[in-house]
Amino acid sequence: MTKLLLVVTVLMMTGCAMFDAAPVKRNFPSVPTELMEACPDLKKTEPTEKLSEVLRVVVDNYGQYHECKIKVDTWVEWYKTQKDIFESVK
Amino acid sequence: MWMLSFVPDALLHIVVIGIMIAGIGIYTLSFLTRFVPPLIPYSGIARIIGTILLVGGIYFYGSYETEMSWRDKVAELEAKVAVSEKKSAEANIKIQTVVREKIKYVKETRVVIQEHIKNVETKIDSMCKVAPEAVDILNEAAATPGAKK
Repeated sequence: MTKLLLVVTVLMMTGCAMFDAAPVKRNFPSVPTELMEACPDLKKTEPTEKLSEVLRVVVDNYGQYHECKIKVDTWVEWYKTQKDIFESVK
Repeated sequence: MWMLSFVPDALLHIVVIGIMIAGIGIYTLSFLTRFVPPLIPYSGIARIIGTILLVGGIYFYGSYETEMSWRDKVAELEAKVAVSEKKSAEANIKIQTVVREKIKYVKETRVVIQEHIKNVETKIDSMCKVAPEAVDILNEAAATPGAKK
């Protein structure tokens, strides 16, 4: 009798554990690899008297900023798009 | 109840209907036993068993319908999730294409500007001499805030 009670209890407890699991599995959407790259630090100018050398570094840094801006804007767009798709499933 | 999910729908349906039919059959037979004298003593017990089976069958039928309803909902949701995952992957491809094009354009523009500097390098350098303090200030501004020097 004790063994039977034990088996029934175990079965019932397993049943409770099974109910906790969601029957439908949803995968987290993947992120484009470009967005997973961290923005590098800004370049620094080597000691120089030439304005052209300074200008080159400034231009590179501006370019770097534009790339990072694109990535941040794209992250926002990615989030909004994926959120809309996620919420469309009800 | 979770164990029901492992049993095929058709088998579950047959078992539930079978229990109900058995209940009705035994209950009906319990009334007929009065016409067969040797079976009269079993009339009461047959009626009890028939009633239990019928009530149990109805209960199981209700459970079966609920189980089927949940299975339908799960299937419907799974289909929706599959569609949404497809949409999500398509949106990712679109976003990836756009971001690649934009970054490529920025890089190309940077090369063009660097070429432009190269062309006017002599002119720029002849007209201006940069003080070392200006470079220091520029580097100070370019340093990542909070980073160790």
